[in-house]
Parts: sequence; structure tokens; C-alpha cells
Amino acid sequence: MFDKSKIGQSFPPFTIEVERGKIRELALAIGDDNPIYQSREAAQAAGYSDVPLFPTAPTMFTFWGNTKMVAQLVSLGINLMGVLHGEEEYEYLAPINPGDTLTGVMTLVDGKTRQGQGGTSMDILTVEIRYTNQRGQPVLNAREMIIAR
Amino acid sequence: MTTNVQAPTKLFYEDVQVGDSIPKLVKPSLSHIQLVRYAGASGDFNPLHTDPKFGEMIPGVGGIISHGMLIMGFVGQMLSDYVGPLALRKFGVRFKGMTRLDDVITCIGTITEKYEVGGEGRIAGKVQAADQNGDVKVSGTFVAALPRRIEMQ
Repeated sequence: MFDKSKIGQSFPPFTIEVERGKIRELALAIGDDNPIYQSREAAQAAGYSDVPLFPTAPTMFTFWGNTKMVAQLVSLGINLMGVLHGEEEYEYLAPINPGDTLTGVMTLVDGKTRQGQGGTSMDILTVEIRYTNQRGQPVLNAREMIIAR
Repeated sequence: MTTNVQAPTKLFYEDVQVGDSIPKLVKPSLSHIQLVRYAGASGDFNPLHTDPKFGEMIPGVGGIISHGMLIMGFVGQMLSDYVGPLALRKFGVRFKGMTRLDDVITCIGTITEKYEVGGEGRIAGKVQAADQNGDVKVSGTFVAALPRRIEMQ
């Protein structure tokens, strides 16, 4: 069961550089072979200034950028063994380009424990990660809801 | 949104009507290799998505299941094809069911709203990904900003 007193707590910031090759890798893993994600040349040929961000690329910023995420979630008192992903939402505030260095801060914004049958319980947590770029400009908000059994 | 990026226009505000369908995207059947590849790309190495023995130990799972985020990625591909990646302002989903190997996922969407924010034309819609039996895996919403034809003249 997670510790309710942690609601509102933010974790230390992490940084991640936006890499063209990682955007390409993610798009190809998803099976999207749109050339705009493949190279700067192809993106420019299609009218973009550089390889654009794939819509779900922020998931890489979290997993590859916040190397302490698992420890941070454990510190909230949840059991990671049975974690399910409930919801994911992105708010794109400004363009993010290859070469940008993003700083992310994760905050536990909401949480509740639901009692189930036979004394079982599940924790439902919402974390928000706010990203700013190297100029301090807010560029992206990511919210995710996770369910820990 | 302030932008110095000249984004190519895929779609104009005037061309979209509430009730329009987004061109659907049918993905090839889900393979184990794709999950391994997606794990490496995304950085999500939860063994639930790559190690069949691990999945069998978790009650209610029984084998490998897809990253929910891969299915959201399929929906992202559909939206990228429709409005272009730079037009998106918001994109959110709820994960409703587990996707298993060999499932064939189809993504669909509909426009639900058209409105303006500070002179910027926006569309909102609902999206969904379901398997070959119609079982919904992901449902969600998005908002995109679209240029007007008159601005382009």
C-alpha cells in the first residue's frame, strides 16, 4: 500500500538529450516507416526543419532519461511486481527538436488505495512529468496513471 | 503555441467536419520480435513483455503481453499520418485490455469537435485500437491545431 503522505512530492530532476536516432528507432519499432522519422534529409524533403518528435516519443524520455524511476516508485510504497499501466496522456506545449536537452521533474499528483475482495487492495497512482528545454521553456507535460496490485 | 518550425500541411481546418472518420490503420499481427524491438527502443524492459516464463507467473496474464505503449504508438502512427506530428496538442489514452502475440490491431478515430483557441483552429477527436475480435485495447482522445486555407495564401 502506498504512502498517502507522498502525494504532492516531486523527485529530483533528470535530463535527457533528444536524439534523432532514437526517434527513428522508436518509429521503426512501432512499425511506422514514414521517412520523416528516418533522417533529417528525408524530414527536410517533406518540409520539416528536422526529424519531428513521434507522438509517443516522450515514453523514451521517461524510461531512458529517468534512470531512478523504479527506485522512486518503490519509495512511494508500491509493489512493482504487479504494476499495470492504466492511462497515458501528453500535452505538447512547444516543438521539441533533435539536439534539445530536456529536464524532467516527476511529481506524484494523485493516489488512492482501493480495497478488493478477500483483503486484497490496489493502489492507483497518477504521476506527472513536466519537461522544459535548455532555454527553460516548458515543452511537454506527461501524465500517467499506474495500478499496483 | 509559438513555433519557428514550418510544418508541412497535411490537413486544413476547413476540410475537417465533426463526424469525419480518420483513415484507419491496420497493423501486421503482433510478433515477439516486435515486442523485443519496442522494449529496446522505448527503454521499457519489464519482462512481462519479453519473457514468456515471467508472464506465466503473473495471475491473469499467462504469457507475453504487449507494452500498452506500443498500442498507443500504433494510434500515434494513425494520428501522425492524419494531421502530422507537429499539429498534435494533446494525446491521451486509457489502456483497456491486454494485447497478445498474433493479435491484429486496427486503429480508428472520429472527429468530435471543431473550435478556436486564440484564433487557432483546433479539432478534437476520439481514437481507439481493437483486435481482430473487436476487443478494445486502447481508447482515447486527441486535440490538434490545423492551419486555415486563408493563412496559406
